[in-house]
Amino acid sequence: MSRGVEVLVEHVTHQFAVEHGTLVVLDDLSFEAAPGSYVSIMGPSGAGKSTLLSLLGGLEPAQGGTLQVGGHSLGTMSRKELAAYRCSTVGFVFQHFGLLDTLTAAENVAVPLLLAGRSRSDARRRSLELLDQVGLAERATHRPPALSGGERQRVAVARAIGNDPVLLLADEPTGNLDEENGRMIVDLLESICTERACTVVAVTHDPRLAERADRRYRLKAGRLVGAEP
Amino acid sequence: MTWRHAIFLANRELRRRTGRAVLTVLAVALAAALLTALLTIALTAETKVLDELAKGGPLSGIKVAAAKADPAQATQDDARPGEATILDQAAVDRIGTLPFIRAVVPVMVVRATIVVAEPKRDGKPLDAFVENVVGVDIRQVPTLPVSVLTGRLPAPGATNEVTVNEAFLERLGYSRNEAARFVGTQINMSTTRSVRVGNERRDVQRWTRATIVGVVAQDAGEGQILAPKELVEPARTWIVGNPGGGTRRLSDPAVATPFAGVFVVADSIENVGKVRAEISAIGYSTSAPENLIASVDRYLKVVEIVLTSVGLIALAVAALGISNASLAAVRERRREIGVLKAVGASDRDIRRVFLVESGALGLIGGVLGVVLGYLTAVVVSAFVNRYLVEQGFEAVPVALPITTMLAVTVGSTLLAIIAGILPAAKAARLPARAAMGSL
Repeated sequence: MSRGVEVLVEHVTHQFAVEHGTLVVLDDLSFEAAPGSYVSIMGPSGAGKSTLLSLLGGLEPAQGGTLQVGGHSLGTMSRKELAAYRCSTVGFVFQHFGLLDTLTAAENVAVPLLLAGRSRSDARRRSLELLDQVGLAERATHRPPALSGGERQRVAVARAIGNDPVLLLADEPTGNLDEENGRMIVDLLESICTERACTVVAVTHDPRLAERADRRYRLKAGRLVGAEP
Repeated sequence: MTWRHAIFLANRELRRRTGRAVLTVLAVALAAALLTALLTIALTAETKVLDELAKGGPLSGIKVAAAKADPAQATQDDARPGEATILDQAAVDRIGTLPFIRAVVPVMVVRATIVVAEPKRDGKPLDAFVENVVGVDIRQVPTLPVSVLTGRLPAPGATNEVTVNEAFLERLGYSRNEAARFVGTQINMSTTRSVRVGNERRDVQRWTRATIVGVVAQDAGEGQILAPKELVEPARTWIVGNPGGGTRRLSDPAVATPFAGVFVVADSIENVGKVRAEISAIGYSTSAPENLIASVDRYLKVVEIVLTSVGLIALAVAALGISNASLAAVRERRREIGVLKAVGASDRDIRRVFLVESGALGLIGGVLGVVLGYLTAVVVSAFVNRYLVEQGFEAVPVALPITTMLAVTVGSTLLAIIAGILPAAKAARLPARAAMGSL
């Protein structure tokens, strides 16, 4: 039985203020992701991929249109509700890993667990389990600067799935990795999607990551220009 | 995020930027040290000045004379006493029942002929002289305006130990700095009473030998010799006693009064006036430096406020430093803040981390500053005291109440937290999108 949520994006527009006017980043964009599906979004730089992910993750509100995740409209949520949404519903994997250099790998993984209200000992136990799942149990006490790019991204994935999110958002997760580590992360994301049955939306330039997706969307200049299958 | 987690994150962050944290803490520490040192100096000076005014006794001390009250003089510091009257145990007990009173110490005085064993500075013997011997309960000296300059006080109840004052030394041509040479020397004191032998009256003397055990400054009673009441009381009984038994009726109340005065301590300086009025109503003349003390205290408070303001300005400058450092940290940590928000931190969580960081800088700086400031004041006072002692004055103990130390520490922390409010609010308002690294 699928745990993932349906993602519904309808007529979303978003723009940024620039020096001489505004830059339309998303222009009347609509698409959907079925519960438990693995969706990839490809497109050239500046196409609006990361902005779309940012809106889906509740990092900022959309300026027009509707975004629904599991039937809940993100546009109607308060800042506090969005924080709770980011904590418990969504898991984020960033291209630049987004780890805190002052914390060890285990502590980085524990942060969202603590924010979700778990006790320190429970968060520690759970973070060690998660690191073990991504093959980094022996690196638990290392800080990010002492880890390789692939290891950092695996720590980031462990952190993203800590609170059992129903939606995993990945922003070019292989963008900073070599081929071998990239493949490892792609395998990891796919297995998470399969085993945990959560909906995965991955923005990527990487065809290896895109080709494994159940559904592939192409963006260009903020508009949807293709979808397959 | 709990406060504990915020403290954990703030601790890690401060340790990452050790250099900046150390410099910010140093700025707070120096400001807190300045404030502490200035407060210590102000409080020490206040203690010393008020102590001088109260002549070593409590600030709320009142001298009650065996004299009638003059209503016109009731509120004067140095009220002129009226005509002499009897101040007996019943009067002392009655004064003791008045409100706002902490202690009542009766003071006896006998007039005696003194013979000093030590010669004068020029080697010649000092002629016998008549002087008052003041008798008090030595156990109650801490509540009296009595300060030991050298040696010690007589043992409580001792009938062969006395102390003398500076005026006594001056009779012999010596100064306060040479007081120690008289400790251990002896004096003879004689009290006289007149007896009838047949149709004639003859003076009969009673001699007492005592050792000088210390030199004091005292304002408990008028006299150059201070002794335990157990030494003075028999001498007085000898004067007023009837050889046939009982006490004679003496016509002069100044001689007949059992006590020459009473030293009363009010429960606070504010109640001195009320207590004086009550004692005046009973009929006795009082004097107390209440107006002088209140006036000087006002000036000292002004000095204290000025010095505290200087310290607080320094602390405010240090707080601006914290604010500046925190704002810089917010700018540098935009992505980190965004990441924390992206994984579920609320605005309140972010604000909490930054406030803890500012508060920690203030607390550490405050503690270091108090220690540094106190040590500075101790060093400065050591130099000042050396000068004072060389000039023949008493050394001044450094005064810094624990409440002041706590106030400076808590004040530094609070000021740092206030300084951190703006950066914390700015960090909390940062969009979570900063996590994507595009803002």
